Amino acid sequence: MTETQELEQLVKREYKYGFTTDIEQEIIPPGLDEDVVRMISAKKHEPEFMLEWRLSAFRHWQTMKEPEWAHVHYPKIDYQALSYYAAPKSQEELDADAPESLDDVDPKLLETYEKLGIPLHERAVLAGVKGANVAVDAVFDSVSVTTTFKGKLAEAGVIFCSFSEAVENHPELIKKYLGTVVPQGDNYFAALNSAVFSDGSFVYVPKGVKCPMELSTYFRINAKNTGQFERTLIIAEEGASVSYLEGCTAPQRDENQLHAAVVELVALDDAEIKYSTVQNWYPGDEEGKGGIYNFVTKRGECRGDRAKITWTQVEAGSAITWKYPSCILKGDDSVGEFYSVAVGNNYQQIDSGTKMIHLGKRTRSTIVSKGISAGRAENAYRGLVHIGKTATHARNFTQCDSLLIGDRCGAHTFPYIEAKNASAQVEHEATTSKVSDDQMYYLRSRGLSEEDAMNMVVSGFCKDVFNELPMEFAVEAQALLAVSLEGSVG
Amino acid sequence: MRKELPDWLKTAMPETAAAPEAIARTAREQAETLGLPGLRDEEWRWTNLRAIQRGQFSAPIGVGADIEPSIRLPLDNPLRLRFIDGVFEGVPNEIPEGLTLSALADADEDTRQAAFSPTPAPSVENPNDALVTLNTAMAREGVVIDVAANAVIERPIVIEWLDGATESVMSHPRVLVRLGQSSSATLIEHIETVGEQPSWRNSVIVSSIAANAALTHIALGLDGARRLATERTFVSLERDARYHSHNVQLGGQMIRREYDIHVGGSGAHVDLIGLMMPRGKQVLDTHTRITHAAADTTSNEHYRTIADDAGRGIFKGRILIEEDAQRIQAYQSSNNLILSDNAEIDAKPELEIYADDVSCSHGATIGRLDEEALFYLRSRGLQLDEARGLLIAGFAQEVVDEIPLVELRDWLTERVEQRLGERDTADDEKA
Repeated sequence: MTETQELEQLVKREYKYGFTTDIEQEIIPPGLDEDVVRMISAKKHEPEFMLEWRLSAFRHWQTMKEPEWAHVHYPKIDYQALSYYAAPKSQEELDADAPESLDDVDPKLLETYEKLGIPLHERAVLAGVKGANVAVDAVFDSVSVTTTFKGKLAEAGVIFCSFSEAVENHPELIKKYLGTVVPQGDNYFAALNSAVFSDGSFVYVPKGVKCPMELSTYFRINAKNTGQFERTLIIAEEGASVSYLEGCTAPQRDENQLHAAVVELVALDDAEIKYSTVQNWYPGDEEGKGGIYNFVTKRGECRGDRAKITWTQVEAGSAITWKYPSCILKGDDSVGEFYSVAVGNNYQQIDSGTKMIHLGKRTRSTIVSKGISAGRAENAYRGLVHIGKTATHARNFTQCDSLLIGDRCGAHTFPYIEAKNASAQVEHEATTSKVSDDQMYYLRSRGLSEEDAMNMVVSGFCKDVFNELPMEFAVEAQALLAVSLEGSVG
Repeated sequence: MRKELPDWLKTAMPETAAAPEAIARTAREQAETLGLPGLRDEEWRWTNLRAIQRGQFSAPIGVGADIEPSIRLPLDNPLRLRFIDGVFEGVPNEIPEGLTLSALADADEDTRQAAFSPTPAPSVENPNDALVTLNTAMAREGVVIDVAANAVIERPIVIEWLDGATESVMSHPRVLVRLGQSSSATLIEHIETVGEQPSWRNSVIVSSIAANAALTHIALGLDGARRLATERTFVSLERDARYHSHNVQLGGQMIRREYDIHVGGSGAHVDLIGLMMPRGKQVLDTHTRITHAAADTTSNEHYRTIADDAGRGIFKGRILIEEDAQRIQAYQSSNNLILSDNAEIDAKPELEIYADDVSCSHGATIGRLDEEALFYLRSRGLQLDEARGLLIAGFAQEVVDEIPLVELRDWLTERVEQRLGERDTADDEKA
């Protein structure tokens, strides 16, 4: 094959998950008012307290203004033109009772997840298609399709189910924890989510339990003109530990779709939560047309002493990413970690980072952020390290590096550092550079193609973060990175 | 959310100003709509202007030339440009060849145009520029410093800002500095409070450095319990020009100093070195913005803060590299120490990069004395306090050491040491 052909083929390779599933869906008409909020709540058969909670969030949202401070540009979103609820019809008919077994799930849905490489058959999982020991909650547009391995988890005392089921079966836990980390009125998109959120995952790990397997949620946007607003709540009681993964994809469409999720984590004394994300929403085409607006609020609170929360993210998709997974380190000796790789190609815009709020004594945090920009992408790290007056002997280490591929992209760093305690130790380092000609020359002289050489340099650059991912995801992340940067060299 | 311009400031708006009429008129209109920045403005999230808002300051009336600074800087035959409460006291005699000094009020139309049209141009959208606009609308006093091409001015040019001579006075002076090709000069700002009165100075320095010229600019904020200052410096550099800035702030109730530097010609270089030592309830704040608009340019920035008592040190530094400005090297560091649990440090080092062939880095640290150095000193028999004291003094000294004028450097070293020594005695008294 000649070089030109090879190049052409490379450039033509497209977003792998861009297909749509032709499935009959129930979509409520576009528009947003109190009736829509009531309708969503009714469809979910929610108790009164939930509806009240949603309505108060909605009223608050109406008084708020869309934030403009992020380093991203997009046309104004018309919130009345979106539909706020979409569900596969078969699911709807089954009513609020989630399907008892996979036999009840629409085969078309199963096919979709099969195509995405997400095994919903427990047998298939064991057969090692994606590595064993991962329980999956699959969310399709606004509803959870199925959750695997529920039985096995229940034996250990772990609750892993869709958010809607949790509201129905464990209202006391929802009442106790919902909105305690990300309050309803926290920010514009969190308020919107609080009003109209549809589904998501709920995890509860009781005292002293180590969750026996990795938990995972797979989010899929399918319907047109809808927004996806999921809500995830993870609670680890004293001494408990859990590792949770999320993945996401969406069909290829010309218009932009909104995804505004909220994730809350609560870790009590000695608890540990590891939250990993591989985000691969449709990023738009080479001209920057279409793609998902990913406006997400993620926050964890180390409520107890010696608690630990780790965020690991690989952000490869979305037209615009606007997310700052944060840790509130309230308990003494608690630990917050943030590891991130954010890749932007073509016209993607990323404004992402973290907040580490140190309140407890001897709290520690680590931030490692790797940004890669190619094409005409804009990639910004924005982070806050706050050492409060009460946080004696708190420590933070931040490393944020940017890699530039091509001369039309941007890489930015906006770190905020605030310290109010004399014993605080904060270190922040940031570098920006391009892939050096020396590195490329060396690898090329060893017989690697330009593309392979670039991939090797980039994966070396991201190694610190990939090492933090569970093994199966690390492999996937590496592959994803290669796909995202396709066509960026030469 | 901007704060509305206080009434006393609205009524103080003069009908005539030093700026060319068209510029002044626009500025007067804009100043009212812009108001004053508030904490909700991103650039002002750590510094509030409440003391100015509530200040009820009035324009200076001029108190005569008999006020002398109480601090004498060890300078070799300086050229003094004295401003008492912002009122310019006139140009000195015997000016060296190649240098022209003139009062802004006497300057011709073109010069005044230049003094009020800085590069980079302030924008009305930027809340930060509310204060520059206010200066443009209200400036009546100022000085123009012109250095001819190829002239090397050995004698330091000293602007003496003597603030607080009369009660509750505000001033909006404007300075224009122009260096011709291949010339060089040293500009020193001697900032001192001469009375006990509260005062507010909102000064703007606009400078342009032509090809291959070099400007050394030293700002020394020496004292002042009730001194409020909002100071802005604009610098534009042409090909191979150099700008060396040293900014030492040792006192003042609220000092906000900003540098906007436009590196517009290849081969140009910028150094920004700073030391801030807030104590008591002082707020010492420096914001810098360097724009690399041309290829093959370099910048080096190094700021240190030592915050004591309930003092607050604020540093924000932005490096912006424009599209096609390739082969840039930019380095920035912000190192900070907090000596008391009531003190606070806020830092925001920013990189904004639109070109790929660059090598940029920044680092920020808070509260880190070298553990090994501490161990070494203690192993030599020093008490922990002594060892710490030495390291803190050394921390400040590294910035002072960069000052190119030897006598001034030694004098400052002593002053900084004395300042840190006062801390030790104060501690002893408490104990």
